[in-house]
Amino acid sequence: MNRIQTKPRGGFLRPAAIFLIAALLLAGRTEAPAQRVTSMKINEVLVVNEDNFVDDYGKRSGWIELYNTSAGTVNIGGCFLTNERGNPKKYPIPKGDILTRISPRQHVLFWADGVASRGTFHLNFALEAGQENYIALYDSDGKTLVDSLLIPPAQQADVSYGRSKDGEEGWMYFTKVTPSTNNLTLDKNEKIDNFKTNDSLGLGMTITAMAVVFLGLFFLYLVFKQVARLAIAAGKFRAQKAGHATVHGSDLSGEVLAAISAALYELNEDVHDIERTVLTIQKVKRNYSPWSSKIYSLRENPKK
Amino acid sequence: MQETLFSFLGDNLRLFFTYTGIYNAEPGHFVMIAIGLLFIFLAIKYEFEPMLLIPIGFGILIGNIPFKDAGLQIGIYEQGSVLNILYQGVTSGWYPPLIFLGIGAMTDFSALISNPKLMLIGAAAQFGIFGAYVIALQAGFEPNQAGAIGIIGGADGPTAIFLSSKLAPELMGAIAISAYSYMALVPIIQPPFMKLLTTPKERIIRMKPPRVVSSTEKIMFPIIGLLLTCFLVPSGLPLLGMLFFGNLLKESGVTRRLAETARGPLIDTITILLGVTVGASTQATQFLTLNSVKIFGLGALSFVIATCAGVLFVKFFNLFLGSGNKINPLIGNSGVSAVPDSARISQVVGLRYDPGNYLLMHAMGPNVAGVIGSAVAAGILLGFLA
Repeated sequence: MNRIQTKPRGGFLRPAAIFLIAALLLAGRTEAPAQRVTSMKINEVLVVNEDNFVDDYGKRSGWIELYNTSAGTVNIGGCFLTNERGNPKKYPIPKGDILTRISPRQHVLFWADGVASRGTFHLNFALEAGQENYIALYDSDGKTLVDSLLIPPAQQADVSYGRSKDGEEGWMYFTKVTPSTNNLTLDKNEKIDNFKTNDSLGLGMTITAMAVVFLGLFFLYLVFKQVARLAIAAGKFRAQKAGHATVHGSDLSGEVLAAISAALYELNEDVHDIERTVLTIQKVKRNYSPWSSKIYSLRENPKK
Repeated sequence: MQETLFSFLGDNLRLFFTYTGIYNAEPGHFVMIAIGLLFIFLAIKYEFEPMLLIPIGFGILIGNIPFKDAGLQIGIYEQGSVLNILYQGVTSGWYPPLIFLGIGAMTDFSALISNPKLMLIGAAAQFGIFGAYVIALQAGFEPNQAGAIGIIGGADGPTAIFLSSKLAPELMGAIAISAYSYMALVPIIQPPFMKLLTTPKERIIRMKPPRVVSSTEKIMFPIIGLLLTCFLVPSGLPLLGMLFFGNLLKESGVTRRLAETARGPLIDTITILLGVTVGASTQATQFLTLNSVKIFGLGALSFVIATCAGVLFVKFFNLFLGSGNKINPLIGNSGVSAVPDSARISQVVGLRYDPGNYLLMHAMGPNVAGVIGSAVAAGILLGFLA
């Protein structure tokens, strides 16, 4: 018995498959903002700092807190902070400072003191008391607005304006300011307290969880029940097309099936032992490489 | 001169003695060493889950060699020690998903695909988890601790480690040891309850032989399984994602080398590291507490509840099935995901009542459904209590 395989498989499909995968990857890229500067949010600001947080120079000034909402580290080096709508590149956040790499769900504080020479985190503009302040964070292209905030006028001294919960919508005033830390600090686990209060016996959890487990496996059951029907129908169709008689498994006992299987197995083993002339020819493709080229490994023929 | 030398040597020897295990030993260390030796004995003599009990048992010996806490970076709880570095896979929870990858690559879901209604038995057996959760709450544990303890009833060591590392890391050692111990003791725990809850007539029910499953169905299973279960419970993604991914490697037929690595060298390596570090984490000072004793008791209860729930569910399910389609309730126990031990128990107990009734293939269905069910249950507990 000679088996010869020379036909390349699925050749025309390959470029299409590669194109499809590349397209999906590109599409996925545009949909995945995590770990990029777009994950940064303006989180809390203090405009009037009279008796509040002090910087490394012992000075008091307004400050702006940014928050990384993503689960990955974000480098904000090269981005821009501004307080002018027409000048998005007013303060370029220096590149190469290790401290501009913001860890997941962490904060960074910029001092709005108008003295950029004091370091990376000191802005070249200040927040003005008694008037509306606009602040914005732009991506490193200076065009893509990442986040902006219009701070209402008449801010009280030492009262900050921030998101009620880090990174989320909803703003409020904080008499207890929270620079470089969570706006909402939790001293308890709400989920667990909720279960302790409302489900001390654990029956609610049991019913909910078992319902979900059953639902999940019930969905699988429904899907594979239909898949099984289709598979059986397809099998019958193929058998009819091939002109073979079908034998229902239920007509035969387990012992009979086991005996048939054993006989088939033995037959195949014997056939393999006896027919040692089985020849399989497979096309082997070897790409050219100078490392395997005979040109470079053999001496040239001597010239006569 | 001589006196000074002797005095120096004497001081040195005295100092050395304070560093020895003999000097630092406490009774608890010997109790734990005895437990470790028992595990090794059970594994070698009775072949109770030897792949797990030998590494864990030996790990218990390693973890309970007493030493002076002199910052020498020896112990598993000392940051930067070799054991501590290896233990990161447990505490950070990345060993269990890799184990699941291997399990997926070695599991044949044919039995389940050919008779999908067996999936529901795998769901019913998860009552063990929540039964233990309810009892643990009454025993005074916090809800997150009760969830971590309850997962012992899933009879799935990696899942138990994964969930306890997230919900109650302080109980992880006791939970892991309890889960693996009871998985090894499945042949002792399950049969009495299977017998108690079934009638002689039910025990000899013969089920239809499973049909042959096509390779297309086998390929579809991990893909559909992943999408359905993880869209429902995304928090189960680390375990279910890897389980189904491993299975696709196996069934796709074009990634044989990857599947062999996943079910061979990779799972073996992770099993060794997981077993020995979990064992070593049971230092007497950390492990021998009243809570550990309670956890062992609750673990046993959860296995009993899971077994009973599986068997009783089959009996209930049979009420709705035609006479030719009845399920033998002796496969109900295999809904707990101790693969393949609990399925083997169904086979052994079934053969006792009908020597021609082979239940193994049928029992493998709920058995692997139990793996999926316990991972889903773990995801739910994680979502609610983390």
